[in-house]
Amino acid sequence: MITIRALTKRFGDVTAVDDLTVEIRPGQVTGFLGPNGAGKSTTMRMVLGLDRPTAGQSLVNGRDYRTLRHPLHEVGALLDATGVHPARSGVAHLRAMARSNGVPARRVTEVLDLVGLDARAAGKPGRALSLGMGQRLGIAGALLGDPPVLLLDEPVNGLDPDGVRWIRGFTRRLADEGRTVLVSSHLMSEMQQTADRVVVMGRGRLVADAPLAELIAARPAASVRIRGPEPAALAALGDRLAAEGATVTTDGGGMSVAGSTAGRVGDLAHEMGVRLHELAPVAPSLEEAFLELTADSVEYAAGATGGGTR
Amino acid sequence: MAAEWTKLWSVRSTWWTLLAAVLTMAATSAQLAIYARNANTDDDPANNPGVVGVGEIVAGSLELTQYVVLALGLFAITSEFTTGTIRTTLRCTPSRGRVLAAKAVVVGAVTFGLGLLLGTVGAVTARPVLGEWGRAPLGGTVADVVAAAAYLALIGVLALGLAAALRGAVLALTVLFALLMIVPLSLQEPDITVLTRIADAFPGVAGNHFLAGDTEPYPAAAGLLVLAAWTAAALALGRWALARRDA
Ligand SMILES: Nc1ncnc2c1ncn2[C@@H]1O[C@H](COP(=O)(O)OP(=O)(O)O)[C@@H](O)[C@H]1O
Ligand SMILES: [Mg+2]
Repeated sequence: MITIRALTKRFGDVTAVDDLTVEIRPGQVTGFLGPNGAGKSTTMRMVLGLDRPTAGQSLVNGRDYRTLRHPLHEVGALLDATGVHPARSGVAHLRAMARSNGVPARRVTEVLDLVGLDARAAGKPGRALSLGMGQRLGIAGALLGDPPVLLLDEPVNGLDPDGVRWIRGFTRRLADEGRTVLVSSHLMSEMQQTADRVVVMGRGRLVADAPLAELIAARPAASVRIRGPEPAALAALGDRLAAEGATVTTDGGGMSVAGSTAGRVGDLAHEMGVRLHELAPVAPSLEEAFLELTADSVEYAAGATGGGTR
Repeated sequence: MAAEWTKLWSVRSTWWTLLAAVLTMAATSAQLAIYARNANTDDDPANNPGVVGVGEIVAGSLELTQYVVLALGLFAITSEFTTGTIRTTLRCTPSRGRVLAAKAVVVGAVTFGLGLLLGTVGAVTARPVLGEWGRAPLGGTVADVVAAAAYLALIGVLALGLAAALRGAVLALTVLFALLMIVPLSLQEPDITVLTRIADAFPGVAGNHFLAGDTEPYPAAAGLLVLAAWTAAALALGRWALARRDA
């Protein structure tokens, strides 16, 4: 459980996190979403006691991170920067972490196995690690103390499709074990398959905090696409639907009907004897829902990705 | 603490620093020993400084060698800032006081051990070079070597605390250089008693009074205490800065 109360962080003029209050619950994967620069990483750094909040408070399992003596048993984290010394091997990095928290040395081998890093890769110095290997090493570090709370900042960054799939399965499993799992991403689509719940930030503020399904369902834009060979009949069908309160838009050779269902449209077409070649419900993608939500809070234009990452 | 130990030795540069310190020590003490010999070749024997204890050579050599040892204390923390590993460290041990204390113990122990080694290297190098002009009573030499080690340990930890407060290695080194040499030297230069007394309160000068076993202006042990107070102050400052700043 992560409790964030009225958390605010200002860097000079920039308010990176603005009065954020949210609770991250155990047993589910919570997607932490927002465009670059929304304040996700800063929030995570404050939860981990790295950045000092300007105001407000964050607690992990009811305690301030800075008061934890052996925090690796409480919270595991993967940050955007790996935090591995360029000249130190991955194994030595993990060993030092383990020793600082009273984790037995054999656990290092265990977590390396868990994340699929072999001895050769783990023996490389920090500077020689690929992005993907660095991410795996970071996750290994997060798992060292077998913590009930996990924070992963953009874990799929730099991973190949295999790695991405692996992360998905892995976070799922961790949540199913009853852990609190917070995974950040600037891409909604990444969360569509993993998250149970999403917390969306924009310009440092909380934009949404809801179960994923609810967020999708809440989109009114669910629509039905229809196409047919007889434009006049199709237009008549459109008029009937509009009369029932649906929103109908025509687009080249077909129509898009919002505010109705595929069943209703099909029944009506049958009743009126309109021939259809296509009748397809169109679910709004999460990405669209996300873009809509954060539309007024996007700090950077799409072309300037990376400008706000750290 | 064990973690700090692992971190220190798992980076190759630590070993290079040690090697550099040993070589610097050997070279400097050999050089000083040669100076001591040459100083005794005056035509008028009354001008000769006479027989020199190797302990003096060791103490003199530290003037230069200490900077290599300081580097150990500096890099124990500045390397964490530049590589971002400080975030890992503080995540593992959120108590800033404990992080700095662990580093201080490790840096202190290593620099003390290194000091013993360097003192021995210095003495062993200087003795044959000095020849008839040298003297190395066992008890006195051992005491001098231990004193050198204590001096280096305190200076090393002082460097650590200062670097934690100032963050950058270059800045910390500059400030150390000023504290250990430049400021006290310029205070002593005009030979005004008040200024010289102020200089005596600086860590490097206090350390030298301690190493030389002076009785003026304060007993040697007081020199050690003054130096230790500087070290404690630097650590407190470093801890405060670590707690206040974003990592
Ligand atoms: N150390 C810092 N100093 C100044 N500004 C920062 C710092 N860290 C983050 N920011 C700013 O805070 C905002 C939020 O950044 P960040 O938390 O990295 O967002 P996200 O992780 O959602 O992309 C951005 O405008 C970023 O430029
Ligand atoms: Mg980020």
